[in-house]
Amino acid sequence: MMDLLYWFTPWEESVMVVAATGAAALFFSRGCARSKPQLRQKIYFWTGLASIYLVSHTQFDYYSEHQFFIHRLQHLVLHHLGPFLIVLSSPLAVLGAGMPEAGQRVCRFIADWKPVQYLLSVLCNPVAAITLFCGLIGFWLLPSIHFTAMIDWRLYRLMNWSMFINGLFFWGIVLHRGPIFSVSLSPGSRIAMMLAVIPPQIVIGAMIFFASSELYPIYTICGRAIGGLDALADQQIGGIILWIHGAMMSAIGILIVVRGELMRQKH
Amino acid sequence: MRIFVLSRYMLSLAVAFAISSCVSEKTWHVEEVVGHLPDLDFSLTSDKGHLVTAKTYENYILLLYFGFTNCEAECPVSMARLARVMRLLGDNANRTRILFVTLDPGHDTPPVLRRYVMQFDPEHAVGLTGTTDDIQNLTKRYRAAYRPHSKTGGTSGITHGDAVYIFDSEGQARLLATSADSDEDLAEDIRRLLGATH
Repeated sequence: MMDLLYWFTPWEESVMVVAATGAAALFFSRGCARSKPQLRQKIYFWTGLASIYLVSHTQFDYYSEHQFFIHRLQHLVLHHLGPFLIVLSSPLAVLGAGMPEAGQRVCRFIADWKPVQYLLSVLCNPVAAITLFCGLIGFWLLPSIHFTAMIDWRLYRLMNWSMFINGLFFWGIVLHRGPIFSVSLSPGSRIAMMLAVIPPQIVIGAMIFFASSELYPIYTICGRAIGGLDALADQQIGGIILWIHGAMMSAIGILIVVRGELMRQKH
Repeated sequence: MRIFVLSRYMLSLAVAFAISSCVSEKTWHVEEVVGHLPDLDFSLTSDKGHLVTAKTYENYILLLYFGFTNCEAECPVSMARLARVMRLLGDNANRTRILFVTLDPGHDTPPVLRRYVMQFDPEHAVGLTGTTDDIQNLTKRYRAAYRPHSKTGGTSGITHGDAVYIFDSEGQARLLATSADSDEDLAEDIRRLLGATH
């Protein structure tokens, strides 16, 4: 039993992760009592939030730091799966209902602030959103950048946070039907955005998979978590995860948007 | 006018970037990590049985390596290599120390460590051991793989990297050498570090 609990203890404590997931969990459960969301919404939200917490604040994080393919799995959850599920639960209304009055005022104040509105409208631009989504994946996988991010704990956290926040943004724009931050996109453009992020992920994934030399020597230098798996095999599994599973989330997203539109037309 | 100012600013930025990239390329042979890894901080037991901290080795250039005496592959190779770097350094080696931190504290007691490091460099190499938690704190600090709590069974399950963390005389992490770097390059970089602390 103690052994099992040990796996849930944080590898590296982060106040930010505890505060963010704790606040989200608190507001959502309070909101649930007031606004009665559907069971489906609750399942999506709690699964999404739990998956984010599990990959970033447990012993799993040790393996992400020391094994390339597990690092890719971590980012698959942080950038794709976790934000995807959280967005699917349409949590804004529930979180708002669960937030104390002062918190709601602060959120409204920030949202009404002109520079923030301007920034949000830029970030919600389809081309900017696609570029940022793929650009971030590529940027953190540049060998020299990846090397530094894996030895500097501050950059490592910045990398993980940037992936998560960008994931929330991107999936928020493409999966959300109504206008978001005063930007309204047609179902066609949302599907096109999800299609557009597939090729870059395939290209980056394939480049890593087919590389004949070690692109990320930092894992060999600092030691791999799993013995018996050589550097190239580790790299290839990581490449495959990006290549196939990244694109897979787009396919699921497209099906969800198509289904949503068909249901709407039926009614 | 504004465009002119902006383009001049961009140009100066580009020039500064080009110069800095040229300079940084020529400075060190091995990977520079200054500012990315924290300063040295530990409290362990030396191979002579004394309690030692980072302060004990102030004014020395330190080469920190994680390993264990039963290791048959990387550790002896790396230690032999560091001993050769010490010979290349000549008199400068007197201001340099190799710190061999064991990842197998259950087996590697101070006398075992002493015997082990003596084989490579009796003068400049020091074996360090401590509690599993002390060692894990140090490996975690430098992002080195070490997993004492998972049951892997025996020393064959200990996985570790081949990083040599190099600290200056004030305990600041400066360089990260790997087995891919040549002994001569490593010695030259250490000499340069020593020169800077005169």
